[in-house]
Amino acid sequence: MNLERLPNEEKLSLCRKYYLVTLAFCQIFLFISPGGFAFLPFLWLVNVVWFFREAFLKPAYTEQLQIKAYVKRSALGLLLWVAVLTTWITIYQHFRAEWGEVGDYLSFTIPLGIP
Amino acid sequence: MRKWKIGLLCADLCVSCNSVENKIYVHLNYTIPCVRLLNATHQIGCQSSLSGDVGVLHVLESEANLDWVLKTGPNPPYMVILDSTLFTRSIMMKLKTGSSRVAGVVVVAPSSNPAEGFSPHTTCPNENSGGYDPALAHCNVTVWNPLGNGLSYEEYDFPMFSLKDDNDTQAIKQCYYNHNHVVNGSSPQYPLCAMQLYSHMSAVTDTATCMRRNGINFSLNPEIVCDPLGDFNVLASTRPLNYTDKGHKMGESVVIAAARLDSRSFFFDIAPGAESAASGFVTLLAAAHALRNATQEAQPNRNILYAFFQGETFDYIGSSRLVYDMENKQFPLDLDNVHSVVEIGQVGLHGESKLWVHTDPVSRRNSSVNEEVGLSPYLYPSHLLNTHVSDFSQPLPPSSLQRFLRARPIPGVVIQNHNSAFTNKYYESMYDNAEYLNMSYPPNLTPEEQLEYVTDAAKALTEAATIVARALYTQAGGSDPIQLQNINVTQMLYGFLVKSNNSWFQQMVPSDFAIHLRERPTNFYVGVTQQHSEPTLLVQYLLANLTGTTVNITQDNCQNQREGEDDKESKHIYSYMWVQGAAPPNSTERVAFCVRSTVRLSKALSPAFDLEEYTSKDYSTWTESRWKSIKGRIFLVASHELEMLTLGVGVAVLIASLMLTYIISSKADILFSSGREPTAATY
Repeated sequence: MNLERLPNEEKLSLCRKYYLVTLAFCQIFLFISPGGFAFLPFLWLVNVVWFFREAFLKPAYTEQLQIKAYVKRSALGLLLWVAVLTTWITIYQHFRAEWGEVGDYLSFTIPLGIP
Repeated sequence: MRKWKIGLLCADLCVSCNSVENKIYVHLNYTIPCVRLLNATHQIGCQSSLSGDVGVLHVLESEANLDWVLKTGPNPPYMVILDSTLFTRSIMMKLKTGSSRVAGVVVVAPSSNPAEGFSPHTTCPNENSGGYDPALAHCNVTVWNPLGNGLSYEEYDFPMFSLKDDNDTQAIKQCYYNHNHVVNGSSPQYPLCAMQLYSHMSAVTDTATCMRRNGINFSLNPEIVCDPLGDFNVLASTRPLNYTDKGHKMGESVVIAAARLDSRSFFFDIAPGAESAASGFVTLLAAAHALRNATQEAQPNRNILYAFFQGETFDYIGSSRLVYDMENKQFPLDLDNVHSVVEIGQVGLHGESKLWVHTDPVSRRNSSVNEEVGLSPYLYPSHLLNTHVSDFSQPLPPSSLQRFLRARPIPGVVIQNHNSAFTNKYYESMYDNAEYLNMSYPPNLTPEEQLEYVTDAAKALTEAATIVARALYTQAGGSDPIQLQNINVTQMLYGFLVKSNNSWFQQMVPSDFAIHLRERPTNFYVGVTQQHSEPTLLVQYLLANLTGTTVNITQDNCQNQREGEDDKESKHIYSYMWVQGAAPPNSTERVAFCVRSTVRLSKALSPAFDLEEYTSKDYSTWTESRWKSIKGRIFLVASHELEMLTLGVGVAVLIASLMLTYIISSKADILFSSGREPTAATY
């Protein structure tokens, strides 16, 4: 979809939709599924990359302020998730072998032949 | 027509693309790996990496030459080729500590046994699973296997394979001498001869971990990584037992005659076990055969239960299971029914003519036990063999009787060919074979003649079997003298230790097993529970024929375990086998018949796996890892610099072609204008 062709109101509604959907799902999946929510921050990444030019580099128009706000919030959420996931992945990869039984029950794929 | 031609062309190309692989790699045909075994606390054996370990070949000349491999050699990691004389503990320990420079070890198995003896087992076999307290258990009184170097029980993180000393191995050594050999201190030039070995083991750490990983349900690819060791015990009795009536049997008093069926060596699936296993159970088979008529005609007071235990090498799997079943009413007898135990251990005689009878000092302090031990039959002089009673204060050698004593004091003897330490120079190694037992045949005999030729080993074991038979009969309450049936030990020894596909075995097995008889010695490794081990079935059929009787019933009835159409009771007491039989002299058709015997198989799986106590200290917890592929190949490797150069050139060509494409595409209108001038508008 070429953003250039869309009218400004539709750009704003897209940006808002992506931001809100991701926020909602993150909150739900945090409590339900252990695996699914890892992928959702990608929608925030999409928001940031896609709308960056619209929000900061184009000359101002009415909806731009709101788009800017959503892009900033998406970027913040993205950074937070990246930090949390990186920390968790580092800890897991480092300590899974030592955790023994707990490590095995947390894993989806257990490597063969190494602890 | 066209499509057919294209298809042929493609097939042709495919054939030629495989042959490029054949030009690079030479695959090893005969590979015997060392595999990983796990127990409650340790893992032992070898592990390779998932994509195989590659190392530059090096034929080790001496222990001092290890320096090249471990320190000075310029092209690590090395694949070390050892002759069997260099396969010692000191060299292996040095290789183990320097394992970052060692890619793997290949041991060349010699064609004759080393003179000085070799035993990769520990010095104190089964020290933690016997029937003694720590004061007597850890070989404090006698070291049973002084030649043991413990190599089988170490953990190696490189693959180890064994190759036969044949033309293929000579070719490998020749590759080394052509490319890798160091001449006058100058380092060898690339390309070098290298070998890649694949023996990746899936299980790791210990049995508890691998059994847990077997059972995880929600992982993406559930895989079984290890299997428990075990098989079946073979049992038979002189008086039939009702196998559906489990638990204590009133009024039944049983003498258990026990022997061990299994052995092992450092490498996987090689276990000739001539003295450590075969000498014992062949003697017991012969004794059971000798007593067949005597126990039918003049029945002694007590029943005799012949028990052949599997898995005794690995912390007494078979005997611990039988004791467990007896204690938990899973067996038609229980420990109160057991009067005494007579066990036949290693009884191969190498020119000496002495057998030693071992007893347990701890249980004999109890006077009622002491009376029933029954040493008197062994004190009678025999015309070929002398039996002596070994030292009273010495504990029992590693034997199944120890597991019975662990449950309660039971009178028992263990018959061995040694007084204190083992006389077996090759205990649990690949050299414990027919050659060691002095089974030598004159040259130029056909296999049939070899089958019938009575070797010295057979004569000695026949004597031993006679002594055992008389002693068993006396212990069971019969009175000497008895007429013993003639036994022919030499055929049994030939069948188990030289070739199991011989005419005598062929007669005694059912036709669907006959195709499994091999042209080589039997492998006595117990193996995993799911796979039937060859010696168990052979001993089952032999015991059935040697202690059972022929009955005249139809094949249909025989295979349905009944004597007539309405017979529902016999299957609880007897077992029936339809065996092939021999062909009469004038025809080629075998005359099959039915053998009725009291032979049963009882499961020999350690109770630890039924109870799911994988860290158990009471029972054997041995498991064997699973693996995907075991193979090896040799090829020439180029130097690292050449590889980097090739990669660099490739990357440069890629970048150059990308740039060229970009330049051409951006100037496309100039390059591809074909000389046409932009026409001025002429309208």
